[in-house]
Amino acid sequence: MAIQLSHFSSSSTTFSSFDHKISYFSKWVTDIHFRRQLRNNFELKSTNGYPLNAIPMQDEGSVAKTLGEEVPFPEFGEANSMLSITVVGASGDLAKKKIFPALFALYYEDWLPENFVVYGYARTKMTDEELRNMISKTLTCRIDRRENCQDKMEEFLKRCFYHSGQYNSEEHFLELNCKLKERESGKLSNRLFYLSIPPNIFVDVVRCASTKASSATGWTRVIVEKPFGRDSESSRELTKCLKQYLTEDQIFRIDHYLGKELVENLSVLRFSNLVFEPLWSRNYIRNVQFIFSEDFGTEGRGGYFDNYGIIRDIMQNHLLQILALFAMETPVSLDAEDIRNEKVKVLKSMKQLQLEDVVVGQYKGHSKGGKSYPGYIDDPTVPKDSVTPTFAAAALFINNARWDGVPFLMKAGKALHTKRAEIRVQFRHVPGNLYRRNFGTDVDKATNELVLRLQPDEAIYLKINNKVPGLGMRLDRSDLNLFYKTRYTREIPDAYERLLLDAIEGERRLFIRSDELDAAWALFTPLLKEIEENKIMPELYPYGSRGPVGAHYLAAKHNVRWGDLSVDGLFLPAFAAGKICLDGFLLLYSSSLSKKFKDQKRFWWSGFEVLLSVIQI
Amino acid sequence: MASLSSPSHCCSSSSSSAYSNSSSVRFHHHHYISNLEFYANSPKKLGSKKISLQSRGSPYSNTILMQDGVVATTAATVENEAPTKKLKDVLSSASPPEEHNVNNDKSTVSITVVGASGDLAKKKIFPALFALYYEDCLPEHFTIFGYARSKMTDAELRNMVSKTLTCRIDKRENCGEKMEQFLKRCFNHSGQYDSKENFVELDKKLKEHEAGRVSNRLFYLSIPPNIFIDAVRCASVSASSANGWTRVIVEKPFGRDSESSAALTRSLKQYLEEDQIFRIDHYLGKELVENLSVLRFSNLIFEPLWSRQYIKNVQFIFSEDFGTEGRGGYFDNYGIIRDIMQNHLLQILALFAMETPVSLDAEDIRNEKVKVLRSMRTLSIDDVVIGQYKSQTKGDITYPAYTDDKTVPKDSLTPTFAAAALFIDNARWDGVPFLMKAGKALHDRRAEIRVQFRHVPGNLYNRKFGTHLDRATNELVIRVQPDEAIYLKINNKVPGLGMRLDRSNLNLLYKARYSKEIPDAYERLLLDAIEGERRLFIRSDELNAAWALFTPLLKELEDKRLIPEYYPYGSRGPVGAHYLAARYNVKWGDHGVDE
Repeated sequence: MAIQLSHFSSSSTTFSSFDHKISYFSKWVTDIHFRRQLRNNFELKSTNGYPLNAIPMQDEGSVAKTLGEEVPFPEFGEANSMLSITVVGASGDLAKKKIFPALFALYYEDWLPENFVVYGYARTKMTDEELRNMISKTLTCRIDRRENCQDKMEEFLKRCFYHSGQYNSEEHFLELNCKLKERESGKLSNRLFYLSIPPNIFVDVVRCASTKASSATGWTRVIVEKPFGRDSESSRELTKCLKQYLTEDQIFRIDHYLGKELVENLSVLRFSNLVFEPLWSRNYIRNVQFIFSEDFGTEGRGGYFDNYGIIRDIMQNHLLQILALFAMETPVSLDAEDIRNEKVKVLKSMKQLQLEDVVVGQYKGHSKGGKSYPGYIDDPTVPKDSVTPTFAAAALFINNARWDGVPFLMKAGKALHTKRAEIRVQFRHVPGNLYRRNFGTDVDKATNELVLRLQPDEAIYLKINNKVPGLGMRLDRSDLNLFYKTRYTREIPDAYERLLLDAIEGERRLFIRSDELDAAWALFTPLLKEIEENKIMPELYPYGSRGPVGAHYLAAKHNVRWGDLSVDGLFLPAFAAGKICLDGFLLLYSSSLSKKFKDQKRFWWSGFEVLLSVIQI
Repeated sequence: MASLSSPSHCCSSSSSSAYSNSSSVRFHHHHYISNLEFYANSPKKLGSKKISLQSRGSPYSNTILMQDGVVATTAATVENEAPTKKLKDVLSSASPPEEHNVNNDKSTVSITVVGASGDLAKKKIFPALFALYYEDCLPEHFTIFGYARSKMTDAELRNMVSKTLTCRIDKRENCGEKMEQFLKRCFNHSGQYDSKENFVELDKKLKEHEAGRVSNRLFYLSIPPNIFIDAVRCASVSASSANGWTRVIVEKPFGRDSESSAALTRSLKQYLEEDQIFRIDHYLGKELVENLSVLRFSNLIFEPLWSRQYIKNVQFIFSEDFGTEGRGGYFDNYGIIRDIMQNHLLQILALFAMETPVSLDAEDIRNEKVKVLRSMRTLSIDDVVIGQYKSQTKGDITYPAYTDDKTVPKDSLTPTFAAAALFIDNARWDGVPFLMKAGKALHDRRAEIRVQFRHVPGNLYNRKFGTHLDRATNELVIRVQPDEAIYLKINNKVPGLGMRLDRSNLNLLYKARYSKEIPDAYERLLLDAIEGERRLFIRSDELNAAWALFTPLLKELEDKRLIPEYYPYGSRGPVGAHYLAARYNVKWGDHGVDE
């Protein structure tokens, strides 16, 4: 049985008076309460002897009593344990931009245990002071909590140290081990290694760290970042190597999309609201879309990307993971293993991707208003003849009872017109709709849609048909809205904060298990092979555009319309600009050409096309 | 090419957005709906008057006709910025004859407000008529007659009417002019309500104004119930239209119980056909009540939930934050159950609970509503709580009790508050309590529908909700007034590192979404009556079924002289309402934690 020490109420121990403990504890208890319940039973955590899954006790006596009953190893109180977090690759971009700031945010909000040290490990020679200096540049405080920020920052930096060494040198890790031991000074030691390094040295580091710098008394965990291989074989190889040195429950494969607030909320929304679950099947859902777009290209850093491409970089991991969460059956419980079991089942029920269900694209240079944007192959770090896709759209299918025949569409691209990530659930049309006359000929145009916007500006909205107030009977689409900004004043934590905290707590729900990873690669590997072997030419699209037209044809083939390019997404912003032109056009048409267009429909469509072209300009 | 003109201004909203798949014409049978969206904006100023209304031969053919040949003139008009009047000429000359196009020039509508000096007429009817006129929803030829016993000249009537006319907040241009033009079309005729001669005189005056056109006549009876029949008799015998339609709008009360209501209906039917009688229930004209069917039948996501399988209970809540304020004379004779529940709330309930109608035609909808009413269990006295407000002193202000009202007998037991649990014994709703609550002198003013859903079976997040599963259920709220809104309460994760759930709303606040002012219920209902759209009016058999539910209860209350539970003016009403709800495992949504 692994005993894992929790950090939570570091706050309570930092206060000297018991009164403080109680009040602070109560303040956090609601937050803490739930996290606790998610844990596996064997991962018992004690925080200074407080049974965290109990309601806070007001009198000392009962606390002591519960402690005796429920915590089998009271000697591992928090004061006696020490958490060391080693960021391997500390001078890298991810470490600077995400990992250290996330650690600081956790520290600021008292989520880290009382005793902890942060070690930076990299090849560069640096002193502790230089590391602290480097880190301090990227630390920020939450917008809504600025008090003592500076003090806290300094205290945090005092706990940061640096150790320089080679990634494949066991001696250097042995030195690290000595330093860690010094800091731990006999306390129970828990060690977390965050590997923020290129994949080719993963295994070396894992070998050195696990053989030379594992904790002797507590747990040792390793967080690994993507890429987890390039295909089934290389991924399996990597897993095999990792498993030589680590057991499955020591490996934490991070997918930071799973740490996003709205991805976390997806399950809450679905499983704690009666109104959604009945709709969550092929009976009511027509299609589901997972959309990711960035409004910038590789910008001179295409070296890594060119070797992987958008499908491996975004689809096979982030989008597929969200899809699995979305489509899974109700798990037995919220425990990590139960959830991951369900996710694996989804992945295994999926039809392997076919080339004809995929569209790939690559952005090309584009000049707009005196400014010119480079094409992908203009990037000096990218080979001139690269056919690596920077855009991909795919239709996936889950062959199980719940989802048979429902297209799950994915779209991911760089250098598009917007930056967004969202899940769109389009519902079927109302059978025998009484109001069908109000919708024109295309019944699918006026269907309900549930949108979860992961970024930017987190929001949930449900598009409904509604009567426009007034004397007539006109319907339009309105949204039932929940904008996080207006509803919740608190800043939403970064995905890395959540994931780091989960790793520290041993909560594996949001990390990818080996069999999950296998199943995910199995879906994509044949396709990726085919694309690469046949050197399939990507469809070129201009930088800053809406992506290749092929994506529309792909969607149309499965009778889907992309939600993000639909009437409300596309026309509304463009409408103001296009309206004048359109009005002029209409008048022109109605006066001079009206006789030619006896057919109302053709007439309408020509208007539609002109509007489209106006927007495209 | 009727398309360009068809979104008649009056029916379409002026804020019509081009992206919506909207048809401007109230869902009548017409052929061009689908293709109009993009034009909705441009021809706004054109031809609206012309097209807004045509008279109909048969009262059942509620087709809105389209003007043909408008397109040809459209471009020219826009270029010249021709005034509407000129356009009108162009339009009529350009209109080629069309088979069922009754020429506007030949028809006219006369609206006679019987009881013109009354409160309702001044506050609601005339302003609603003006609003319709302002938005070009009235036909080109119309006259308005006030009929009352008080002697008044036309000028005096106009003066009286003008005091209550207002313009829409969002449409102020030409308001003054429009008002004058409207007032010019208002006339007064004084007469007794039971005098045939006086109505014959009215008929003469109407004929003068009609000047040989096809005459359609609408009588709005804004008079006490005891003179209903007299007025109907005189109007129908002496002032019916000879060549067009004659319709009569009747206001509540429609009797006091099954017998008196049946007697009233019988008397009305001596003089009028069923399709001439328009029983108005102004709650059915409220925007969100209209929207109820749209929400339910045009959104896939709601209909699957609309049954006993998912809905735990439904609540219809009406409250006013004032008492009778010296005008309890009428009220004391009826009480809150007759005044609010048996009509307004029950009508909304029927709309809410009905099966999907065959079509949106008035008869189809009303058939379904009658079916609901007839499936309902007769109210038993155990399922009802009644209350009456007593005086309360708050700060320095003393609020009077109901019986302090001078027009109310000191020993009155008339309920000013009532709560009731109703049940519909059909396959869809078996066992689902429909709770109603209506009261005066409560702490706030509101009317809303609350749909509480069941708890999630086997909820994974159970532990988050403590012991009371039903506390964290979903709820759909349709707020009819004030501040129209629709919102769905969902459980949501509080952003942050913990896993805390809370209830958030998926919101649709009308104020934020729609900039247009929402028309008053009376505008819609008057327009419907003029157009012969009966969907929102109560048919005789509906009325019968409604009374059949409530009459035994009302009799029992009155026979036994049950004492109402007293509650302080401005409070949340009698505690009994909570016990009633608790008996059916319901919590009133308006007293919830989040409210």
